[in-house]
Amino acid sequence: MDSRRRNWTLWAGFLLSLIALLIYVLGFQITRSVFWLSAALFVVAVWLLVSGFKRARREPELYRGRRAGPILATLSVVLVALFGFMTVMVTKYFPAAANAPKVGSRAPEFALLNTSSSPVTLGQLLSGSALPGNASGSARGPRGILLVFYRGYW
Amino acid sequence: MASFEQLGIQPVAISADTPEEASAMVSKAGLTFPVLSDRNAEAVRHYDLLAPKAGLEGRDISAAAEFLIDSSGTVRWRKMSEAGAAQFLAAAKLLP
Repeated sequence: MDSRRRNWTLWAGFLLSLIALLIYVLGFQITRSVFWLSAALFVVAVWLLVSGFKRARREPELYRGRRAGPILATLSVVLVALFGFMTVMVTKYFPAAANAPKVGSRAPEFALLNTSSSPVTLGQLLSGSALPGNASGSARGPRGILLVFYRGYW
Repeated sequence: MASFEQLGIQPVAISADTPEEASAMVSKAGLTFPVLSDRNAEAVRHYDLLAPKAGLEGRDISAAAEFLIDSSGTVRWRKMSEAGAAQFLAAAKLLP
């Protein structure tokens, strides 16, 4: 039985990087606006890993971790890289859209082509005059429009 | 669950696809509501939904979002892009 102490610093570093990644992913809508917090957790995790590894190398007779060290460090580097990659990917494909029209504000007007390449405005959609069968303008407009922005081909 | 028709709500889809691409999707999916093309992503920009170069061949595309607009043109409800874990899964699918 190995009587040396378990290298808690090493394990703490690894666990912290795992927890930081999980928090970032699962709480994304919140963590994306306090990104510095996730980054800080990773910095602390890396510092713990480096400290733990150094301790194991310096005092191998006191602390375990000569073998676990490189493995945990590698796994943690993978987690940090994953975090970095995700940040770049998610920012690109899922923009924050902080200035999108809020509830209570006016929906910006537009004039876009429909599938018949005819121009359609938001005003026309709201009054119901843009829809087939309503050309005479006699029908009432809808109670509301559900504008669905979608990605299309990507 | 009441249908859009019963609620008096007209769905309208918008993307940065061309009218031809939108038309293909309408035929394929059998859609009966208007699908509009914002080829230059102008409306997408006004709604702050631009995802620059995130599309095929580096095209600018729209983020996914929905807005319920009343007859006076006021936003009464909105749903922004997919939350948390769904975004992670979508980003994970993009991993090489």
